[in-house]
Amino acid sequence: MADISFLLFIFFVSTTIFRMETGLPITLPRAETVVSQKREMVVRIWVDQKGQISIQDKLVGIGQVRDIMVKILEENPARIVAFNADTRTPNRDVSAVIEELKKANAVRLSFTAAKQSDAGG
Amino acid sequence: MKKKGRWIAPTQEIPTASLPDISFLLLIFFLSTCMFALEEGIPLVLPGRSSGTIKIKRSAVCVVQTRPDGSITVDKEPATLLELRRIVETKLAENENLVVVVETHPQSEYGLMVDVLDELRLADARRISLKSLEVDK
Repeated sequence: MADISFLLFIFFVSTTIFRMETGLPITLPRAETVVSQKREMVVRIWVDQKGQISIQDKLVGIGQVRDIMVKILEENPARIVAFNADTRTPNRDVSAVIEELKKANAVRLSFTAAKQSDAGG
Repeated sequence: MKKKGRWIAPTQEIPTASLPDISFLLLIFFLSTCMFALEEGIPLVLPGRSSGTIKIKRSAVCVVQTRPDGSITVDKEPATLLELRRIVETKLAENENLVVVVETHPQSEYGLMVDVLDELRLADARRISLKSLEVDK
């Protein structure tokens, strides 16, 4: 019994991670056609309902997004930007961030969404 | 006084009866605090800063607009998300190089844009352009 439980314990320790990044409290939109991305390739950007932006657990202004993303992409240009925004965030804030990402040449985006089994209609 | 039998030193043992309890507690702790790190999202590749403007024939473009009230229009005609999928599927059958331009109203919700992108992916549209609608202040 102890052997089995320790085996399971070691399995979970080796395959999961402690959640390192808190981000911002948001409600993700739901989508059916989500695709999994490799965790190590992803850099997360959070935008909440009020338009606050957080990158790597630091609140940043819209003017800082480009410089921060340029630095992150210098290490690995193939990184994917996971766009975590609240479903109620106004699109003007979303568009402003996307424009800054384009300026930083961060072109590989993934709009994070919770998996939905049935498509909305 | 005569000794009754030989004196046997007590054996030193570590009690292991609670070991399964400890291991299960640790297991439950890790189950509840850790999570499989999954990043799921709708992928999109934006044009880079060096890419120029491309001219496309009007007939090869389908414009989807999102409204602040949560509705959408497809080529200026009101439509539901399901109708959007059917319209784009029909247009793609006629022209596989169709470009779908998603124009988002600044005050429309991000969730609506994701719904539109989701329906476009379900319709197998792969050439998608994101644009923010210019609104007179």
